[in-house]
Amino acid sequence: MAQTAVAGTGRKPAPPKMDSHGRSRALARRETVSAYLFLLPSLIFFIGFVVVPMGICFVYSFLDMGINKAATTFVGFANYIEMWNDKTFWQGFWNTVLIVVVSVPAVTAFSLWVGNSIYKMKPIPRSFYRCVFYLPVVTGTVAVTVVWKWMFNPYNGLLNQVTGNIGFDWLGNPHTAIWCIIMILFTTSIGQPIVLYVAALGNVDQSLVEAAEVDGATRRQVFWRIKWPQIMPTTLYILIITTINSFQCFALIQLLTSGGPSGTTSTIMYYIFDMAYKYNRFGYANAMGVILALIIAAFSAVQFKLAKTDNA
Amino acid sequence: MKKLIALLLALIMVFALVACGEATPETSENPPATTDETPTGEEVTITIWTYPIGKFGDDATMVELIGKFEAAHPGIKVEHELIDYTNGDTQVTSAITGGGTPDIIMEGPERLVTNWGKNGVMVDLSDLWTEEITADIAATSEAVVSACQYNGVYYEYPLCMTTHCMAINYEVFEQAGALQYIDEETRTWSTDDFVSAMEAVRDSGLVAVPGIIYCGGQGGDQGTRALVNNLYSGTYTNADHTEYTANSAENVQALQLLVDMVGSGALNANAGFQATEELQQFANGTCAVTFCWNASNKTNYAEQVTFTPFAMAFPTDDGVPELCGGIWGFGIFDNGSDAKIEAAKDFIRFVCDDETQAAESVRLTGFFPVRASLGNVYAGTEQEADAEEFLKLMPFLGDYYNVIGGWSEQRTNWFNMLQNVFITGTDPQTAADEFVEASNANIG
Repeated sequence: MAQTAVAGTGRKPAPPKMDSHGRSRALARRETVSAYLFLLPSLIFFIGFVVVPMGICFVYSFLDMGINKAATTFVGFANYIEMWNDKTFWQGFWNTVLIVVVSVPAVTAFSLWVGNSIYKMKPIPRSFYRCVFYLPVVTGTVAVTVVWKWMFNPYNGLLNQVTGNIGFDWLGNPHTAIWCIIMILFTTSIGQPIVLYVAALGNVDQSLVEAAEVDGATRRQVFWRIKWPQIMPTTLYILIITTINSFQCFALIQLLTSGGPSGTTSTIMYYIFDMAYKYNRFGYANAMGVILALIIAAFSAVQFKLAKTDNA
Repeated sequence: MKKLIALLLALIMVFALVACGEATPETSENPPATTDETPTGEEVTITIWTYPIGKFGDDATMVELIGKFEAAHPGIKVEHELIDYTNGDTQVTSAITGGGTPDIIMEGPERLVTNWGKNGVMVDLSDLWTEEITADIAATSEAVVSACQYNGVYYEYPLCMTTHCMAINYEVFEQAGALQYIDEETRTWSTDDFVSAMEAVRDSGLVAVPGIIYCGGQGGDQGTRALVNNLYSGTYTNADHTEYTANSAENVQALQLLVDMVGSGALNANAGFQATEELQQFANGTCAVTFCWNASNKTNYAEQVTFTPFAMAFPTDDGVPELCGGIWGFGIFDNGSDAKIEAAKDFIRFVCDDETQAAESVRLTGFFPVRASLGNVYAGTEQEADAEEFLKLMPFLGDYYNVIGGWSEQRTNWFNMLQNVFITGTDPQTAADEFVEASNANIG
């Protein structure tokens, strides 16, 4: 019909404009616009609750600002310079690094081991284990810390009662406090990675596994050559979220040690809180927040680079 | 068609977002007209936040109190929220910076005056301080009058006061033969007697640990401050409250004595404990003394203790203890609404000055009235015996130095200093010098 109508005008019909994928440009534009419109609500939330606060945080980092907003002054890079010379900040930084360096590999390796051990189980025992390991995640942090605090109580806590070590202050000892924090963080961090690994291992292409086994591959070879590459995207995700969670470890420290003893459990995140809410130095706290964000971004970028695969 | 639906969907989401966004300010800066600015007599809604100060930390009690007020002031509705000492300051700071402060808050001058008042977020309450009332409060303590103001502006209207003290497990002391070291009549003891008593308790083996110097956080730090200051009559600040003096020779000597006592097992230092944990160990009978005691704590732990907690002044070398005082009252946040400010003042007048309510309000705290005209509010009540115990310690009320600048900052510095001394073994003089340097830097 269209051809006839055009023929009536004596002109050849103009071919539809195509994009590089061979689609009609008009169609592509329509789909693009639709896609952006569907993304719009999320984008508004993202901008409102992530991008704008990040921008405000960045701007505030150049201010000397307290409760009295009228006394706010612009101080340029003074907050960043102070941070560089602040030994408490550096103590928190190294504590944070220790937590990340110990916690991330431990959580990832343990989760992988547990996930690999339970993913082939029948549904009921598999769900049981998933529940057991996920329980500390869904239990409130306050409840978890109250229980741990009771167990670590030097005089009548479970740990000292069992070991006969009455009076030893696990959370008050500079040599043990940070390790107690790391251990508790470990128990609250493994739930989600285990669930993710169980799901990822369950989705590994069984035909490849069977083919490898037929070809005489050992169990170890099957795991590292067949399964591991296929669960790499999951591993990357777990590495990233565990790193971020470890960097942002705060509630445990606030509730268990308040950064003590003598700053041995203070982290950048806790120091930010301290500066903002105890010292009311919002500008300085924001400057530390900016640096923390950059550090997390750098760690994540390195992880992306190292764990990058074709489908990651 | 698809495009139209997508657009419609997006618009709905945007409108929903905008609608959600508008809901927030109702509780803070832009409340609806029905609950604000009511020259025509419409209802005013005000909010009050209270820390757990005696029964002001009890929901049922507050509901009853608010009910009485609302009956007397039909045009005002009061909403109450309880905050705790662990997170309360953070909540208030968040509210100040993000909007949403309550209209009234109940606490002491170190927060209401020195922190929030000084930073310009509180309302001037000078009109509540009439000459008659000022004289009435001054008759009890001039320190209360001066503590409630900053640069001549009153930011707090006080209700009650007390002295913070310590307590011993009477039965343990009795069985350990340590009662000989205390003056039961005046509830005082000397520094040497304190050392002897704690050693006697240690040697008796009746408790797991004689006493615990808690330094895991700022909670209950008035106890450790008073302990250190009293042992050799040191001071925490100078008389003008313009400088911290915790590194004086007397205080360093006291810190060294405590280090020695920890070394000998007469005391234990615990960086994992704040006052709450130490109190729990005292209530359990794990330790024989607590350094964080007052009438409110006695009430709170009454059901748990199976012994007689005997309130004592802190040990001192000169026989004259100087106990830390506690003053509690009300302040009003400036939320920009005159109607709310006036309603808040009405509430404060009702709680603190009303003929029938004022004495009852003081009794709810478990402390003592700041207004001399109220007399002994516990006379003839069930609380009379308990109150007598703490009333004996009121003459030992020391300087109310909490009004010094940088108060909240120094609290963090203080427990960190104790940790350095008792846990990591820093020399007391060095640690105290660092504390003073860091704290003086925040006086402002």
